[in-house]
Amino acid sequence: MIPLALTFIIDLLALLGIFIIISLSLNIEFGYAGIPNFGKLLAVAGGAFFIGAVPGRVLAYVYGLLEKYDYVDQNVEVMYALGKILGVNPFMSMAMLVVSLILAAAVGAILGFIASYPAIRLREDYLAITLLAMAEILRTIGYNYKDLIGGTVGISVPDPFRWIGGELRLALATSVIMAVAVIIFIYVELLSRSPIGRTLRAMRDNEVVAEAYGKDIVKLRMKTLMIGSAIGAIGGALYAFLSGSVTAWGYDRVYYTFWPWVMVVIGGAANNFGVLLGATLFVTLRKLIIFYKSNLQPYLPFDVVWLEYLLLGTALLIVLIYRPEGIIPEKPTHTLSKKRLEKIKEFVEAKEA
Amino acid sequence: MIPPMIRDATIFSCLLALLSTGLTLTYMTTKVPNFAHGSFAAMTTYITLILVRILKTNPYFSMGLGFILGGIIALALYQVILKPLLDRGASYIVLMIATIAYDMILYSLINILADYLTKTYKIPTTLYILKSYDFRVFHQPCIFIVAPVTAILVIIFLYLLLTKTRFGIAMRAAIENPALAGVVGINVNLTYAASWFIAGGLAGVAGALLPLWLMCNPDIGGRLIVSVFAASIVGGLTNIYGAFLGGILIGMAEVLGTGYLSLTIGTWIAPYRPIIPLVIMAVTLLFAPQGLTGIGLKFLKRRSGEK
Repeated sequence: MIPLALTFIIDLLALLGIFIIISLSLNIEFGYAGIPNFGKLLAVAGGAFFIGAVPGRVLAYVYGLLEKYDYVDQNVEVMYALGKILGVNPFMSMAMLVVSLILAAAVGAILGFIASYPAIRLREDYLAITLLAMAEILRTIGYNYKDLIGGTVGISVPDPFRWIGGELRLALATSVIMAVAVIIFIYVELLSRSPIGRTLRAMRDNEVVAEAYGKDIVKLRMKTLMIGSAIGAIGGALYAFLSGSVTAWGYDRVYYTFWPWVMVVIGGAANNFGVLLGATLFVTLRKLIIFYKSNLQPYLPFDVVWLEYLLLGTALLIVLIYRPEGIIPEKPTHTLSKKRLEKIKEFVEAKEA
Repeated sequence: MIPPMIRDATIFSCLLALLSTGLTLTYMTTKVPNFAHGSFAAMTTYITLILVRILKTNPYFSMGLGFILGGIIALALYQVILKPLLDRGASYIVLMIATIAYDMILYSLINILADYLTKTYKIPTTLYILKSYDFRVFHQPCIFIVAPVTAILVIIFLYLLLTKTRFGIAMRAAIENPALAGVVGINVNLTYAASWFIAGGLAGVAGALLPLWLMCNPDIGGRLIVSVFAASIVGGLTNIYGAFLGGILIGMAEVLGTGYLSLTIGTWIAPYRPIIPLVIMAVTLLFAPQGLTGIGLKFLKRRSGEK
C-alpha cells in the first residue's frame, strides 16, 4: 500500500520527467542554437503517434492477433489479449519499451528533417510560423486519418509496465521516465560543453561571423532540429506509454509547444539547470492547482484551469520584462581546466621536440 | 440564386482578409508575428453574443464596440508589453513569446467570460452560432452583404489613410525608417500605437461578425490564427494590400477547395480543411518567399521595362 502523499509525488515526478525531456530538447534548439521552434508539438506528437500506431500492431502481428481482430476497430480486444501476454512476460515488455523508444527517436529525427527542409533557409520569424504549421498538419492528420491512431476515438497502447502489477506500475513507469530524463540531461549537458555546443552558441549570437569561420549554418540548424526532435519524440513516446493511450486531440500546441517554452524562458534559456528549475516550478504549480481544484472551485465562478493559464501567462510576461535571461541565467562557456591545458601544452611540445 | 458554397467562401474570405490585413499592419511596425491576433477576434465574438442573447439588440451594433474593444486589447499589448521590451532591445523571439503569453492571458479571460455568462445567464457560450439572429436582405442573409462591404470599405479607408493624410504618410515613414522619421519630428511611438489600435480594431470587427455565420468557441482564435498567418505570408508580410489579397485567396481556397475536393474525391477529405492554407503557405514560401506582392511587382517592372 502506497500512501497518498507518495502517490502524489510519484505522479508529479512522472509528468516532471516528461516535461524535463521536452524542455531540454527545446533548450538545445532555442537556448543554444537560437532556433524559434514553435512546432515542438510536431516531435512530441510524432513520438506519441508512433507509439500509438506501431508497437501494438507489431506485437499483435507477432502473436497472430491481427488475423482475428481489426487493430483499430477492435482495439479493446487486441489490447486485452496483448495485456495478458505482456503481463507475464517482463523481458518482452521491456524489450518492446526500449526498441519503441529508439524507433520513436528515429521518427522524431525524420520529422525534424522534414520540418526543417523547407523552413530552415527562411528568416527566423517565418521559420517559427512554418514549424507551428507543420505541427498542426500532423495533428490534423492524426485526428482525421482513422487507421493511424484511431482518429477521434484514440487508441490504446500496449502497456510495458503491466507485469509488475497494481500500484507498483506507476512507480516503475516513473523510474523509467526519470532514468531516461537523467540520461538526456547528461547528454544535453555534455553536448552544450562540447565543440558543437560552442558552435551552436556562436551561430545563435552571430550567424554571419559563424558563417565566416566556415560553419555551415543550414546544416547546423538541420542537425539541431533533428537532435531536438528526436529527444522531443522520446518525451512524447514516454507520455504515450505512461497514459496508456493516444488521442490526437490531446496533443495540442498549448501543452506541448507553449508550456515547454514557458519552462525554458522562466528557468533560463541556454542553461540546463535553469530549464530543470523551470520545469519543476511549472509542473509543481500545475499539479498543486489540480490537487486543490476542489477546494478552490467553490470560490470561483469559472473553471480553475483558466486560473492556471492566467497565472502562467502573467508570470511569463513578468519574467520577460524584468528578468529576460530567466531565473538561472546562462553561464559563460566552460573552458578546459588548467591541468588539461598544461597537458596539451606538454603533448604539443613533446611532439615538436 | 447564389450557391451556398460561394456564399460561405465570400463571407469567410472577407473576414479572413480583415484579420490578415491587421496582422500584417502590426508586423510592419514592430516586426513581430503577433500570435495573439486570433484571440482579439475571439474576444469580440462574445460582444455579439452578449448583445444578441442578453441585451437582445441588433447584432451589427457589435461592429463598433468590437472595433473599440479589439483596438484597446491590441494597444495594451503594444504599449504595456511590446514597447518596454523593444526599448530594452529585446530580440524578436522574446517579442514572439510575449505575444504568446498575452494570448494565454486573453484565452483564459475569454474562457472565464464564457463560463461566467453560462452560469449567470444560462446561455450556451461554447460551440454557439447566431445565424438565426441575422436579418434577411433581398432574400440573402445580411452578413453576406455586410462582410464584403466592410472589407472593401476598410481597404479603401486604409489606402486613403496611408496615402492621402499627413498622419498616414507619417505612419509609412515611421514603418520605413523609424530613426529617420524620428529625426524629422514624427512621433514614431504614436504612429505605431495607432497602427496597433487599427489592427486590433479590424480583428475586433471580424470577430464581431464571425458568430453570425460560423460556429464559435473560446478557442476560435487559436484555430483562426493559422489561416491568418498563412494569408499574411501569402501576401508577403510587408504589404497590407497583399495581406488583403492573401486573405481572400486563402479563404476562397479553404472553402471552395474543400468543397470541390469533397465533391470529386469524397467527403472524407472535408476534415482536412485546415491543411489547405498551410500547404498554400508552404508552396508560397518555397517558390515565392516574398509573397504575392513580390511576384506582382516583379512582373509589372519587367513589363514596364520592356516598354
